[in-house]
Amino acid sequence: MFFRLVADSFGRRPRHKLLTGAALALGMGVATAALSVALDVGDRLAKEFRSLGANLVVTPKADSLPLEIGGVDYRPVNAGAYLPEKDLPKLKTIFWHNNIVGFAPILEVPVQAWTPPSQTAFTPRISNETTLIGIWARHTVAIPDGGNFVTGAEKTNPWWQLDGQWFTEGFSECVVGKNLARKNRLQAGDVFSVSERANSAAAVALKVTGILSTGGVEDDAIVAPLSVAQKLARKPGVYRKLYVSALTKPEDAFARKDPKTMTPVEYDRWFCTPYISSIALQISEELPGTDVRVIRRVAEGEGQILTHVQMLLWLVTLAAMLAAALAVGASSAASVIERQVEIGLMKALGAGSGTVGFLLAAEQLLLAFVGGGVGYALGIILARLLGEKIFGAAPEPTLLVFFVVIGLAALVTLLGSAIPLRHASRIEPAPILRGE
Amino acid sequence: MMELRKPNRAMFWRILRRLLGANRGRLFVMLLALGAGAAVTAALLNLQVDAKRRLTTEFRSFGANIVVAPSNAHDSATSLTALLNENVVPSIETQAGRSGVVAPFLFVVGRVQKGDGTLIPKKQDQTDVVIVGTSLYELPLVEPGWRVPTPFYFEGIPSNVCFLGQRTAQALNAKDGDTLDLFYGSHTEQLEVIGTVSAGGAEDNQIFVQLATAQRLSGLSGQVSLVQISYPGSPTQIRSFLANLAAAVPNADVRPVTQFTEGEARIYNRISGLLTATVGIVLLLTALCVMAAMTNVAIERKMDVGLMKAIGGATRRVVRLFLAEAALLGLAGGLIGAALGILLSIGLGKAVFGVAARPRLIVYPVAVGLTMLVAILSAFPLRRLASIRPASVFRGEA
Repeated sequence: MFFRLVADSFGRRPRHKLLTGAALALGMGVATAALSVALDVGDRLAKEFRSLGANLVVTPKADSLPLEIGGVDYRPVNAGAYLPEKDLPKLKTIFWHNNIVGFAPILEVPVQAWTPPSQTAFTPRISNETTLIGIWARHTVAIPDGGNFVTGAEKTNPWWQLDGQWFTEGFSECVVGKNLARKNRLQAGDVFSVSERANSAAAVALKVTGILSTGGVEDDAIVAPLSVAQKLARKPGVYRKLYVSALTKPEDAFARKDPKTMTPVEYDRWFCTPYISSIALQISEELPGTDVRVIRRVAEGEGQILTHVQMLLWLVTLAAMLAAALAVGASSAASVIERQVEIGLMKALGAGSGTVGFLLAAEQLLLAFVGGGVGYALGIILARLLGEKIFGAAPEPTLLVFFVVIGLAALVTLLGSAIPLRHASRIEPAPILRGE
Repeated sequence: MMELRKPNRAMFWRILRRLLGANRGRLFVMLLALGAGAAVTAALLNLQVDAKRRLTTEFRSFGANIVVAPSNAHDSATSLTALLNENVVPSIETQAGRSGVVAPFLFVVGRVQKGDGTLIPKKQDQTDVVIVGTSLYELPLVEPGWRVPTPFYFEGIPSNVCFLGQRTAQALNAKDGDTLDLFYGSHTEQLEVIGTVSAGGAEDNQIFVQLATAQRLSGLSGQVSLVQISYPGSPTQIRSFLANLAAAVPNADVRPVTQFTEGEARIYNRISGLLTATVGIVLLLTALCVMAAMTNVAIERKMDVGLMKAIGGATRRVVRLFLAEAALLGLAGGLIGAALGILLSIGLGKAVFGVAARPRLIVYPVAVGLTMLVAILSAFPLRRLASIRPASVFRGEA
């Protein structure tokens, strides 16, 4: 009898139920989409922020003070300390190795450059004093536990714009900064000679493969494979500075605590969270004799903006859920109010307030599950569209969102109908049936 | 004619009043749906406009995004030699206005030793170091991302103090309150350390002093190496600022810090796209939900329509009556809801960015208008009531 009554209620007024259901589905659709996007946005934005480049810099610990202005180290080549290149694959063995997006070692050499390629320095000069920056462009690193990892300037300095090709590792090739190229009318395919400033005998002929524009000091420099720089500086197998780009969790109050003052439990939690400080510590443990520093302007800005945007999206999500809840609640309230005659009749026939309330609640719940389910499906599609449009990748549908949405739908419809139901339970059948 | 219309109009309003007052529950439900819709609309619109503006300010935690350098800065690799006249700074400040931060920098390579009060150079204790002359007051403003102490002096920061880069401090084994001796050629300066800078870049190896001190030490009075500017704005605003600035300082090279301008533009577009899309969809579906709720109520008005038609109401006038009711409800719901929404967004703005969102007046009428539109649209299914035959309604047929 109970089921017949419920079925009958749906059968008799399909249009009416459809409208309430549609309102529910739409509301829950928005809630689903907003929730999915909000859950996903942190990871997506963290990846976007890597377009700002490296957020960690590794330098030798026992180094003399670099005389670095605008990115150029004015120390002579033989001053200061170096780090061994062969240790670098260890970076991919730290606890958070999957969060290391890329790294690139750098060795700068003050050089002189001249053209055409010859072994003497008499022919037309390009520059007496310029810098050759040795770096990896697209270098394959063999990871100790198997597999290869491709990294280099493309990962750590994604804002570098190259007109032409990157040099090939192991070849005598280079790319030239745009200012240097413009002044000397260099273009891809040209060949010139470079040598360390103090030692013009050991010259290397380099072929230009592209023109680089970075908005920084590289615009006036020559960028070549690390091996070329090592050869010119006569420092085989070493580098001076390493840039690391890592995906991190924005720092919170806990992350700012000094690891030395933490209890063992806290320390484990800190170590096992990809905070930039814990990744820095792990790197310095892997690469002995190094000083790993956080590039503050990148890391701090990133953390702050990520936290704020995430909060903002959660608020929008909350607003969406609130609006959906209110609209759904209002429509289920309306659907109860309009059934006063029916309620009156049921009571006249001897139904108790509890039975009537139970019947109506069952109806609303059924509606909530169906509407919520349809809404979830709609919302997932919507979230997928949004994700692909904005970030080029769809968020993964999660079961958590499904339960939250269905639960919310049930709660809201029940709450929405609770007030009119209480009202209905006080209905005197006689006046209603008389039409008063 | 006029006499006839007057009582008609009075009657119209009278019926409207009764329609609204007839069923308190229904009135409440409709107002709730419309008001909630209006509140969400107003709050989201206001928050969205404000968030985009706040975001451009937030980006300034990346530090300077524009650099003005001498146009021949990199003729030779020793950019130390190329200098700008200090008098470009005021004209840049005029261009940057109040929202931008302008900081001049002068770089010189000098020698430093831990002071013992004698100012006698001792070769074995000395280290080569990059001395940066700038405004110590503006340094934390132009680079909020760095860990820079904020010095506090009533009469401005004196010229005999300095900040040490983190690694310089380590190398010299110096702490706050120590004295340092700086040497450049035959010039010397004696400075007190008042703080340590942690930047994670070359800055960690430098010493920061007041611009005037660096100029005195190096004998380069009135000269700066470059000027850094932190200018908030959307990518388009920054582009136009760059063009204006280049015209204002013709003999210098104005260039964006590509690393940050490019990345920022990218992230700004992503986030603002995300916000616009989410807010747009939420608004659309809020409207649909409100409409669904309203329509549900409206369909139940058959009795009223039947009665009106039975006593001779023309369909057009009946529909107009219901549209007027919807518009009135929309106005009331919108006025209350939008006001609440704007208040809400002020609080939300404070919660997210720590600064209360500035309410935009334009949002209010827009939100009220949208609500009325939705209310009127949702009364449209009533047009179907035109085909109602009064007799069948009263007989209780559907």
